Amino acid sequence: MSDEVTNSMSELSHSPRLDAKVPAGRLQEKWDAYKDAVSLVNPANKRSHNILVVGSGLAGASAAATLAGLGYNVKCFCIQDSARRAHSIAAQGGINAAKNYPNDGDTIWRLFYDTIKGGDYRSREANVYRLAQVSNNIIDQAVAQGVPFAREYGGVLANRSFGGAQVSRTFYARGQTGQQLLLGAYQALSHQIAAGRVTMLPRREMLDLVVANDRARGIITRNLVTGELERHAGDAVLLCTGGYGNAYYLSTNAKNSNVTAAWRCYKRGAFFANPCYTQIHPTCIPVSGDYQSKLTLMSESLRNDGRVWVPKDPTDTRAPEAIPEDARDYYLERRYPSFGNLVPRDVASRAAKKECDAGRGVGETRLAVYLDFDAAIRRLGSSTIQDRYGNLFEMYERITGDDPYRTPMRIYPAVHYTMGGLWVDYELQSTIPGLFVLGEANFSDHGANRLGASALMQGLADGYFVIPYTLGAYMAGIRQSESISESHEAFTATEEEAGARIDRLLNNKGDKSPTQFHRELGQLLWNHVGMARDHAGLEEAVSSIESLRDEFWERIRVPGSADRFNKNLEFAGRIADFIELGSLMAQDALRREESCGGHFREEYQNSEGEAVRNDENFADVAAWEHTDRRPVLHLEKLSFENVHPTTRSYK
Amino acid sequence: MSRPDVTLVSALMSPVGRKVLTGVTGIGLVAFVIVHMIGNLSYLSPDPQAYNAYAHKLMSLGWLLYTVEIGLALCFLLHAIVGVSIQVRRRQARPVGYKAYKSSGSPSRSGYSARSMIFTGIILLGFLILHLNSFKFGPGEAEGYTAILQSGEEVRDLRRLMTEKFREPLYAFGYPVVMVLLGMHMRHGVWSALQSLGMMSRRLSPYIYAFAALLGALVAIGFLVVPLYIYFSG
Amino acid sequence: MAKNMTINLRIWRQKSPETPGKLVDYTVSNASEHMSFLELLDVLNEQLIASEDDPVEFDSDCREGICGSCGVMVAGIAHGPQQRTAVCQLHMRSFKDGDTITVEPFRARAFPIVRDLVVDRSAFDRIIAAHGYVSVKTGSAPDANAIPISKDAAEEAMDFAACIGCGACVAACPNGSASLFTAAKIEHLALLPQGQVEASQRAVAMVDQMEAEGFGDCSNYAECEAVCPKGISVSGIASMRRAYMKGVFSK
Ligand SMILES: Cc1cc2nc3c(=O)[nH]c(=O)nc-3n(C[C@H](O)[C@H](O)[C@H](O)COP(=O)(O)OP(=O)(O)OC[C@H]3O[C@@H](n4cnc5c(N)ncnc54)[C@H](O)[C@@H]3O)c2cc1C
Ligand code: HEM
Ligand code: FES
Repeated sequence: MSDEVTNSMSELSHSPRLDAKVPAGRLQEKWDAYKDAVSLVNPANKRSHNILVVGSGLAGASAAATLAGLGYNVKCFCIQDSARRAHSIAAQGGINAAKNYPNDGDTIWRLFYDTIKGGDYRSREANVYRLAQVSNNIIDQAVAQGVPFAREYGGVLANRSFGGAQVSRTFYARGQTGQQLLLGAYQALSHQIAAGRVTMLPRREMLDLVVANDRARGIITRNLVTGELERHAGDAVLLCTGGYGNAYYLSTNAKNSNVTAAWRCYKRGAFFANPCYTQIHPTCIPVSGDYQSKLTLMSESLRNDGRVWVPKDPTDTRAPEAIPEDARDYYLERRYPSFGNLVPRDVASRAAKKECDAGRGVGETRLAVYLDFDAAIRRLGSSTIQDRYGNLFEMYERITGDDPYRTPMRIYPAVHYTMGGLWVDYELQSTIPGLFVLGEANFSDHGANRLGASALMQGLADGYFVIPYTLGAYMAGIRQSESISESHEAFTATEEEAGARIDRLLNNKGDKSPTQFHRELGQLLWNHVGMARDHAGLEEAVSSIESLRDEFWERIRVPGSADRFNKNLEFAGRIADFIELGSLMAQDALRREESCGGHFREEYQNSEGEAVRNDENFADVAAWEHTDRRPVLHLEKLSFENVHPTTRSYK
Repeated sequence: MSRPDVTLVSALMSPVGRKVLTGVTGIGLVAFVIVHMIGNLSYLSPDPQAYNAYAHKLMSLGWLLYTVEIGLALCFLLHAIVGVSIQVRRRQARPVGYKAYKSSGSPSRSGYSARSMIFTGIILLGFLILHLNSFKFGPGEAEGYTAILQSGEEVRDLRRLMTEKFREPLYAFGYPVVMVLLGMHMRHGVWSALQSLGMMSRRLSPYIYAFAALLGALVAIGFLVVPLYIYFSG
Repeated sequence: MAKNMTINLRIWRQKSPETPGKLVDYTVSNASEHMSFLELLDVLNEQLIASEDDPVEFDSDCREGICGSCGVMVAGIAHGPQQRTAVCQLHMRSFKDGDTITVEPFRARAFPIVRDLVVDRSAFDRIIAAHGYVSVKTGSAPDANAIPISKDAAEEAMDFAACIGCGACVAACPNGSASLFTAAKIEHLALLPQGQVEASQRAVAMVDQMEAEGFGDCSNYAECEAVCPKGISVSGIASMRRAYMKGVFSK
């Protein structure tokens, strides 16, 4: 990608292809106005509408259960052997809502404002406001389903402050909030399965989207047990397939998290928005060797009592306990005196990287910093620390073999969440009519950086409370006579393409395994499109990824055959898509000549190393359209009518 | 969801019902063996006719005794049938077994006693038949086994029968071995029955488990002292 | 430095539910004590791909002990020798250089083998669908704080709700019973006012489904609790039985 292209891009104006369909009126009244005006679908007709929900995470399970409850005919798909195992299950910390139960001044407006600001002013006001509005209903719904949130002694729900928020608005169920919310949604889904309104199809991978007459009409899936390709026709497709953090190979995402479904939709005409926005979480267990298969998150809450430091002298290889106070650099406390160890995720992550780049990293790989509880244990006693973090300490010890009560934890940042995703309008509809995108798979609510405990909120908001209305608007407008059957030529052609891709993978008798390629891609992205990016590095990434892609198709070896359970075949297909996505991530990062949220460009920082945003030229959503040559950029200009972008400062 | 159609019978045939049955019958049998054991101990009483008096008292209960006996027989029968059926289902539930298998250890209760329930149970059943044959349906007054109580009543001399039997080494040592197996059956059984009947909580469980061991041991000892005493005192 | 270990593996290989399987010996000579057990299998699979052999299929996803996808018998114990640990979090530190470890799938009639170490646990989903939920539709919920719930009840409900549905309880049970799994859901919901309304009919429906799936009976071995990665207590099974009988008698 050349300079002239990138420069001209930032001068693009708002693309007419990107109509966000935000209702008119005051911010606070938009959603109600929308609901008042939306057309309703006759209950008798709902039964004849087939809805395909791809994914059974918080977004997918909540949408499928709710739509079936409304009377639609739903098919729900997931890769795992059970809907209950979707990646959402792993979320630990909690879910936000503006209930203001602690009476500490929270309001819907404040949750909205924090989310917009946390997203570094790169999200759409109306969507975020709606998210804050429905947040309260989510908690009500979850409690009614039997989600055992933490409680106070008086029997009311407990809240905690999370991710540096000034109010306590986070609801939690031990360190297993995602699990409990997902089980709630999964149980609601099971209820509808038992009632015969949802057909659940686990161990299915969506390999392509079927588009006919410019509308999404169905999907092609692979049965992961028999290998069979299957056709599923529907009046609408809801993509709830999660984030693409696994492009980096090592991330906190589950092994099966992928971009394939979203990428196939992109290739069929859905625009991909802001692919460069990746969230790197500062407190993960560091890599221990090259066999490492994934990274484990340690809850952010640890930074409430842990102090982050590295030895001042890079050659100081003494055991951490043996290093005296004055030879330690508590660099977060030094650089950010007012927030100290509690600076936001992106700031903490970059700071750790900076120390390690300067050679002060610790541990065998030297890619780690200490998170030390010694002071807290001495101040509060180890039993208090055990109450607060006991199970996290145990988990840490299980994985590393070190006891954090005695020796500091070693932590390092890891890829955690992707803010980018398929572009959607206010109705969560992509640029392909009939294709809706929910949860982490869309780009919608978190701008350039997501606040802690907001992803669970968004996934459930989309599924329980937004899509039931906005899908109705679409359904009311389509005619049944236009729907196509599974024998339509569009299905035949799409299935053939999917089959051909599989054959190509299997017939290529190369010498490198899928995982080897995935690791290489991950390294490339981590080095160049990771915590800090620069022009030269990004250009290098674009060209290296290009060659990796060529090498992939020359040298890939996929064992086994197509007609059976074959994990390596699944992985190979996903990695091929990750490679293509990686290139788009780098191109998007290259074009965004500013630093904002999860996207930090070395060129755009102030003298103190803090991010410098460029609102004049980049207050926009970059939505990429696939073409046969190179991706074409479309911009949705963001306007802030209710909040005024300010610089985030944590000094 | 409409309410599933359950009847008492279908409920008793369910996995929960089967456990309720083994549990209830098991508890009944436990009560029986405890009473039986205490009765046996009267053999050791300084009064040489205490044992025969006790046995006679039981016999004179008439219809009450018959009711209890029928109840007991039913308990044994049901208990054995359900116990065996559980074992049959166990085979069906895992047609291909493990090449390597071991217990993970505490808090597992799957020790020797637990895993040998079916064997100890079947041995107990076999023993029961022999036992009834030797004693209940063994020689009585007709065969000259008569004793005269202090009251002057002429009764069956079970004491003599017992003394004779347990002078034989096979009886004297075979019987205690079976009693140890009974103790083992109770060691898991008492805990298990309470768990089966839903009378268990996380806090109580370890105490009840310890109590079951104690009860099993006491019953086994209570039963085996008499034959050993007879053998060695003879 | 991390210790280098040589590990011998005897792994169950089976091509389909119908074809018979067998144990096959493998050696991984570059294992590390810091590896997880599944990473050891990853390394073995890379080795197998390189030598044009068929890699060993096994399920895993989160690899942090919460999704319940993973689950194999390691050295005769479901999820391996370290208690309260799913096999994805079991680390090679628990073994010695030169150890031979037998790896088998979770076995039960109700968990047919898909391939190698992968089994079909959809019976669990059907048990939940039988009534493992509160019948509440989206949008009909009262305010979350409308019904106070004591902290103890919430905590205890959470102890049971923590079940990850991995199936280790079935795999370890000498009888192949699914009682702990079924009881965990019944108890989780029965301990909360929202779930109490349907508690006894839930118990009846779920127990009946468990039976229909072909799981074995519970002999109170409590082996399930010992292998459960979340340490779910068998006291739940006792309560399930109470709820079930209540369901029958209150009819
Ligand atoms: C370790 C960790 C901790 C986290 N903690 C928090 C937290 O405390 N608070 C918070 O708010 N957020 C947290 N997050 C983020 C949050 O968990 C996720 O963003 C959110 O759960 C995503 O939900 P989802 O429904 O969009 O997708 P997912 O839960 O990822 O579900 C994706 C679904 O799509 C299916 N799928 C994917 N591809 C295909 C395909 N091709 N074909 C068929 N099916 C497919 C999958 O099988 C799955 O069912 C955390 C994330 C991680 C990794
Ligand atoms: C007739 C011979 C007997 C047989 C065949 C037998 C068999 C069994 C078996 C197989 C079990 C285990 C059931 C299971 O797997 O859950 C069992 C349980 C039990 N047995 Fe026996 N048994 C016999 C006699 C006895 C006697 C004499 C007693 C009294 C001491 C007894 C008390 C118990 C108890 C209390 C249980 C536990 C019940 C439960 O788990 O709910 N049994 N028996
Ligand atoms: S892989 Fe998720 S629990 Fe082990």
